[in-house]
Amino acid sequence: MEPVQSERPAGADYGKLDKCTDPYLRCAFNGAAQTALGVSGSALLAHSPQGCEYLVNNAFAWQECDYMETMTLCTKLCVDEIVHGGEDLLTRTIREAKDLPITALFVLSACGPEIVGDDIVAVCETLQPEVKFRLVPIECAGFRGSQYDGIDIALDVMLRRLVKEGNEKIPGSVCLIAPHANANPTWMADLEWVKQTLSRMGVQVVATLTHKTPLAEIGNVSSAEGSLLLSHDAGQKAADYLSATWGSEQICKGIPLPIGMTNTERWLTRLGERFDKRKEAEKMVSEGERMVTTTCRRKWPMARFFFRTPAAIVADATIGIPLVRFVTEEMEMTPELVALYSSHRPARELLEGELSDLGLNPKVVYGTDVYRTRKSIGEVRPKVVFGSTIERHASEGLGVSYVVELVRMMRQFRFINREYFGYTGILNLFEAVQNEWIMRWRSKEKRYEAKW
Amino acid sequence: MEKDIVVFHGSLQQLLEKVETGEMIPRLQASHAPMCKFFTAYYVISGIRHVVPLVHGPTGCPLYMSDFVRTRECCEIRGVPLEPTACTALDESHVIYGGEGKLLEAVKEAYTKYHPDLIVILSCCCSGIIGDDVESIAREAEKLVGCRVLALRSEGFGGDFRSGYEDAFRLIMDLMEPPKEKRKGTVNILGARWGPTTTEFDMDLDEIERLLGEVGIKINAVIAGGCTVEELRRAREVELNASWCYDWGQKLGDMMEERFGIPYSKTGQPYGLEATKEWLLGVASPLGMEKEALEVIERETREVLPDLAYLKQALEGKTAIIEITEFPGPIRALSLARMAEEFGAHPIVINIHPYTIKERMPSIKFLLETGVNPEIILTRGLFRLGSFRSSKETEDELEAIVGQYDDVIFFGNSARYPPCPVVNLTLMNPAFQPQYGFRGIRNIAALVRQALEKKDLPRSRLLRGMLYGTRTK
Repeated sequence: MEPVQSERPAGADYGKLDKCTDPYLRCAFNGAAQTALGVSGSALLAHSPQGCEYLVNNAFAWQECDYMETMTLCTKLCVDEIVHGGEDLLTRTIREAKDLPITALFVLSACGPEIVGDDIVAVCETLQPEVKFRLVPIECAGFRGSQYDGIDIALDVMLRRLVKEGNEKIPGSVCLIAPHANANPTWMADLEWVKQTLSRMGVQVVATLTHKTPLAEIGNVSSAEGSLLLSHDAGQKAADYLSATWGSEQICKGIPLPIGMTNTERWLTRLGERFDKRKEAEKMVSEGERMVTTTCRRKWPMARFFFRTPAAIVADATIGIPLVRFVTEEMEMTPELVALYSSHRPARELLEGELSDLGLNPKVVYGTDVYRTRKSIGEVRPKVVFGSTIERHASEGLGVSYVVELVRMMRQFRFINREYFGYTGILNLFEAVQNEWIMRWRSKEKRYEAKW
Repeated sequence: MEKDIVVFHGSLQQLLEKVETGEMIPRLQASHAPMCKFFTAYYVISGIRHVVPLVHGPTGCPLYMSDFVRTRECCEIRGVPLEPTACTALDESHVIYGGEGKLLEAVKEAYTKYHPDLIVILSCCCSGIIGDDVESIAREAEKLVGCRVLALRSEGFGGDFRSGYEDAFRLIMDLMEPPKEKRKGTVNILGARWGPTTTEFDMDLDEIERLLGEVGIKINAVIAGGCTVEELRRAREVELNASWCYDWGQKLGDMMEERFGIPYSKTGQPYGLEATKEWLLGVASPLGMEKEALEVIERETREVLPDLAYLKQALEGKTAIIEITEFPGPIRALSLARMAEEFGAHPIVINIHPYTIKERMPSIKFLLETGVNPEIILTRGLFRLGSFRSSKETEDELEAIVGQYDDVIFFGNSARYPPCPVVNLTLMNPAFQPQYGFRGIRNIAALVRQALEKKDLPRSRLLRGMLYGTRTK
């Protein structure tokens, strides 16, 4: 994990190296599980005490796995295994699973077994001849970092162990990286929008790392001509590895993901230029902008009432950074606080570039936790917060009028996945604002009783 | 057919013996994992108001809990404010060099940031294995801050889920100060957890509080369901401890009896008329308030007479197959078995896992002592690897077993599709809560009525397909 105190720009809050934090991000073990569970036809074995299985369950839900298809197992380590080692138990558990109809079993080690020195790599190598599926050990103890670090660790293992060498490059093809490192609770819709966009441009997706990705697809990653990183929080290391090892160029690097009109136009244009599809890109932009504009004309979004209202954005970098421009341009609000879960350098540089370009000077908090979020909201006093259910509660008593739950929402639920990327994404964001606006105006009590 | 699918068929007493002798191994298969010790300890500690549970570990351990307990359950549903889940966020360097220094600083920082009434350090696998001395740090830190600082060794590998509850309850006892007075007619309710396990809902607690209030009994603290540190300090001033749920209250009740000499009312869960009477009298009689309790019981019973008559008429002579694997839980299943018997049905509890018997041994033994010894059937699917495979197989087995009995009624939840009336006892529908006490009798009567009167309405092909696949019969 990168130290958060490096290259501190003026005015940015890094938490002054807190000893006591109330974090937003889960651990590396959770991020690795999220990544492994994006591989279809596989199962996951947590080499851990039973509690860590709940972090796997969370990852299972995040990848929208189907419990009829994907199985998760746990060695449920106890004191005995911590004292005497858990390799025997791991061996037994893998053997228990040997008849599973899967192509791969990802074996993830948690804090306990890593500290006591269980060698999951050796166990997997020893047992590989006994099982029909591929054993993939991932050493991803929680203490190795945040969930984003866990995603990077798992992607690294996959790229090093599962990608076949000697694949021929497929012209006009890409590999999509880390779509799941995105706090949109239905991020699969963002991924789907990207895939549809690429398909329209005639760009082939060789592999997605990871979501419903067959093992064979990962094997072909080296044939991708380029890579598209779909997160500002994780996956950069994988993109760099693809570039260094197989010469896959990272496309749309250094620009915010396509949320809002300008970001989407910029992203599509860059893509069109790279694949020589400028006309198609221009057409997508003009069609999309027309669709959004005419829809708004018919639906009358209440967003227009928020002119220059002070706003806060509390999110991951993937949603939070592009949202700065969306909130400023499309909604005509003024971001006075930007608090990001992430603190790594590429995200910082991207945000600072956007703020400079827009002429904004908000309070910026990198690697925020719940305490610093509340303190910052108390200091800045925004009227609107774009964030999560946590901020709804954390901003109580601080004069916030609206909390638009866009990320990590717990109060609301979506059966239909909704993207924030692209043009329909703009409408989805407006809808979230609209519903919050309606809730704010709804009478909490009646002034008098009806007679009937 | 039975021998193909049934692994055990006998009484609860016989199952207990098989588990105790190791003939039936109480081990969960690799695909089924209950919570770890850390989780359950956290549940209990987070049930104290204005506490900072300071997790000495990486960020994964507290995050799951803070998302689930603090923001979703408590703030969203239970109307309590967001309070912190603090964490030392241990990383690789702390694992190598130790994290005690950071922990001490973290306690001081937590006090400055949150102004809590109590800080409880919870150790995780990491801090436990590297040997950080959390107790010494807590003692040291307490001198530097303005509130009590306690430490709990709650490493996930350090025990089963039950040990987390019990150790946390034991720790809480350290906050209980010598009594300045004995408060007449006052009790503590033990065994509550503010946590998100769905065996625990406010409505059952509300019903208990209502009934105690009717009798004139005061409650000092619900431990640990939203109690304050001040209430815990005064917990020894009560005349008696009572349990919210015998299973969870028992350990703390026994410990407080042994250490402080506070008697503990040992009663099961108040399901049905007899158990409710027992529960209320079990609390009122030792307080010398039996007469008042009997008056309340008489008055309340009068109000539910039609419901009692209906339950008797509806359940008399029936076989009640009870399967409560997840909602609302095994001890409730046994309480329901007792209630079904009270109304004239023959209860059969299906698929109470040997692991559950092992984990809840004292409660199971207590229930046996009180005469709760229902017929038990365990099926092969219960031991199947894989949660889906297991639930699909147990569904098929349930349907086959139900088919072998005449005049069956199923007590469980609506995720099951046996060919008989289904009483949906899920606790996830607040419309029919509480299930405890007199109001519970009314709600359960309504659920039985729905099951019997609407038994011929079609079940959802969609939901069944979702649960068990579209190729099920």
